[in-house]
Amino acid sequence: MSGWAIFGQAVLAVVGGVIVGLFYRGLDRKIAAHMQARIGPPLRQPFLDLGKLLVKETVIPRTAVAWVFSAMPFLAVLASFTALLYLPIGPFRPILEGYGDAILVLYLLAVPALAMALGGFASGSPLGVVGAQRELVMLVSYEFPLAVVLVAVAWRLSTLGIAPAFSLGAMAQHSLWAAVGPLGLIGLVLLLGSLLVVTPAELAKIPFDIPEAETEIAGGLMVEYSGTYLALFYLADAVRTVVMAGLAVALFIPYGIAGALGLSGAAGDAVDLIFWLFKVFMVMVAAVTTVRVGMARLKVDQIARGFWLRITAVALSGLLLLALDKVVMG
Amino acid sequence: MKAEQVLNALKTALGENFRNPELRPRSVGVARKWTVEEIWAEVPREAIPQAVGTLKSLGPLHISIISGHDAREHIELLYHLAVGFGTEGGEVMVTLRTRVPKSDPRVPSICGILPGAETTEREKIEFLGVDFPGIPCRDHVFLPDDLPVHPWRRDEPELEKFLHRMVEWEKGHEGKESAGS
Amino acid sequence: MKEKRAQDPEDPVLPAVEEREVLLTGPEVGPGEVFSVPIGPIHPALKEPIRLTFQVQGERIVGVQIRTGFAHRGIEFMGMRQGRNLIQILYLSERICGICSISHPIAFTQAVERAAGIEVPPRAQYIRVIISELERIHSHLLWAGVAAHELGFDTLLHLTWRVREKVLDILEELSGNRINYAIPIFGGVRRDITPDQYPKVREALRYYRGLFDELLDAFLRDPTVEARTRGVGILEPKEAEELCAVGPTARASGLRKDVRQDRPYLAYSDFEVKAITPEDYGLTPVGDVYDKIVVRLLEVGQSIEIIEKALEGMPEGEITSFPKIPALLAHLKKAEGEGLGWHEAPRGEVIHYVRLVSGEESPLVWKVKAPTYSNLLSWYPMFEGQEVADIPIIAACIDPCICCMDRVYLVRNGKEETWTKEGLLRLSWEKTRRMRR
Repeated sequence: MSGWAIFGQAVLAVVGGVIVGLFYRGLDRKIAAHMQARIGPPLRQPFLDLGKLLVKETVIPRTAVAWVFSAMPFLAVLASFTALLYLPIGPFRPILEGYGDAILVLYLLAVPALAMALGGFASGSPLGVVGAQRELVMLVSYEFPLAVVLVAVAWRLSTLGIAPAFSLGAMAQHSLWAAVGPLGLIGLVLLLGSLLVVTPAELAKIPFDIPEAETEIAGGLMVEYSGTYLALFYLADAVRTVVMAGLAVALFIPYGIAGALGLSGAAGDAVDLIFWLFKVFMVMVAAVTTVRVGMARLKVDQIARGFWLRITAVALSGLLLLALDKVVMG
Repeated sequence: MKAEQVLNALKTALGENFRNPELRPRSVGVARKWTVEEIWAEVPREAIPQAVGTLKSLGPLHISIISGHDAREHIELLYHLAVGFGTEGGEVMVTLRTRVPKSDPRVPSICGILPGAETTEREKIEFLGVDFPGIPCRDHVFLPDDLPVHPWRRDEPELEKFLHRMVEWEKGHEGKESAGS
Repeated sequence: MKEKRAQDPEDPVLPAVEEREVLLTGPEVGPGEVFSVPIGPIHPALKEPIRLTFQVQGERIVGVQIRTGFAHRGIEFMGMRQGRNLIQILYLSERICGICSISHPIAFTQAVERAAGIEVPPRAQYIRVIISELERIHSHLLWAGVAAHELGFDTLLHLTWRVREKVLDILEELSGNRINYAIPIFGGVRRDITPDQYPKVREALRYYRGLFDELLDAFLRDPTVEARTRGVGILEPKEAEELCAVGPTARASGLRKDVRQDRPYLAYSDFEVKAITPEDYGLTPVGDVYDKIVVRLLEVGQSIEIIEKALEGMPEGEITSFPKIPALLAHLKKAEGEGLGWHEAPRGEVIHYVRLVSGEESPLVWKVKAPTYSNLLSWYPMFEGQEVADIPIIAACIDPCICCMDRVYLVRNGKEETWTKEGLLRLSWEKTRRMRR
């Protein structure tokens, strides 16, 4: 594909990703509100929030390390947008397929968290430092189970002859559920469960929103960010939600319905795209919205212990079961 | 705990330092009447720790507050203590009155016997200018650290001037505020 | 606006500008080094201004300094020295606090009634008890929501505050206001609870009884709440006794300390109130935040029982010994004496001391002690060795009512009103009319 075609598609994907991300955030708030017997803000609230943040004054604290402080929001946004370009969207292959694989996506997902932590350290506020410390502890805790899930699914698919290995585009075209035996099914369920628990941690949502804990450290690593920089972090968070949910969909729910409805061509693609948006929405509701309404915030040592011990155990069991399944199925 | 018990214990321990003891009853309740008795007495300032110690030996001791006021020639402090919680009507309220001369405004601190008295003693330091030798901490509780006056004293010309300045400042800024906002 | 004020050199009262800078900077962090984290005076964890400065090492708290007084208004000074008569001071005392708004008038009226030798008729005593217990329900539900919010569990906040609306509606029905009920007056109460209001009160009590188990379940059996509150902010019984803690803070540590039980007043002896500790729920008292939640929720149940009994046994008769205010004022002016009045507010013991002098309208001495005053010192042992993440819930667990404690002077805001006073008043009247239908 020509460079210009890729560029055009990238712009389309990014713009679409931003709009979908913000819209889904609005849906998340509305649903959470109704779960709490409230009315909640209008669906377009995140757009209004973003717009307002962009026109507000951006303050850089006197005690901050200015260049790091200012660069981090841009880094976070760039990383999230780039991750979007490696994600299979609906029936379409990832835009930058061939230029990187699932492992790169793993790194790209970690970069915004690192950027926020560095921003917190550079902010010069003791509350920001505490928040940044917590973000790093959490990052280290959930990266391992996340990597295990990704590696497990990618490896099992590659043993079925799907190539290239670790290509998200290839993974999204083939479903693993039908191809494994009963051991493999249990393993896949365990891996899906682990991914759903890692998702709110990755996005720093309750019960894992300790880096930003509003009532404890007044916004934590975000406390000194305002105006445009905060808007950029907000955007990065919205897009990351789509990416994480899209990752879960690509790995575990890669089905399309165009075939079942007997459609093909452009119509089929459109239907599949809408279906994909719906799947992403459902994953978000299950992993983010319902969880954040129904639980209190956990402390960082509880989170670290929980991920290192329990979730890692679950993910490794899933991997083990998939390996056993391969042995059994031959 | 009966009020009589407490009264006798204090009389025995303090002897002639326990002056003008009164037992003030109050009748409470409608369908089920009850009599609650309060003990009020005067104690010289040196005997305060001994009195508090005696009360503590009688049962779990609680200090409610130390009231105080400037009585022109001296400062009067009232220690409102309650001894013996846990059973219905079993707590006896004991108020010990003590006089502190303005020339030497000090009363031995009871924080060694009852650590919970620290906040109320600190409050008297900042509001009345009374000192409590032996207190573990003299930080101000309510007022700014550099306030030059003791608000509850009646003999400080500084206080009147200070208040006057505060009121004038408020009036002066009233006009500025509505113009600026 | 606020910044201009803080820098005004002629300003004799507000603290200096250094306060703001402390919030923004902090010493360099090195491995294993101790650094200071200031919480307050303005902080989302605190509903009122107070400064807690923590020395932390990583997440562990190694030291704490508490600075209060940001909300000090000089109310006692206003009462004693600015020539107010006792009825004006009664209005002042009500506004010491918004949440425990009837506790101070109840203690104050008792103190003055003791000093001036005024009797309170039985019906008035019962009405005072009913309103106090209704306030206890509303205050504990408010605290439960705030504690949930500190834990990051906003759903419980929305639930308890929505549930609290019912008791606020009843209070509005009985007194005309959601807070600051203006019910007690020297010699009795100002408003009667008429028999046609009993069914509404009973209906509200039924509603709360029905919800009681659900509330207990939501708070006490939720795994994340338990994970966050068990073993956190422990106040040992010995410490609670020595530091003279009061209210649910003391009772959660196992001390059976309740003013309604220990020194009965008004009509409380009729109801044989027993201090509630976690033992009543089948737990061994540890004194952590979980125990405090247990005590407060059980007290809601206890209040419901007391109000029910009070309504059943409501005596007939007048509601005040001095129906005419000028006669009351004349009597108070002649009165000479001193008196103590106390009350078990939702947060603990409230005590007022009054000394009246014959011929003077103002009292010679007026001393107020709010419950949080006694519970301040218990913060120190509760914070020791805990984590930064626990700061909000430990700060909230004594149910601090700083404005009660500080009795502070609020500087006017100069904010612009978008609703005129008439508009707001009309809105409020409409609601009462709606409720009366």
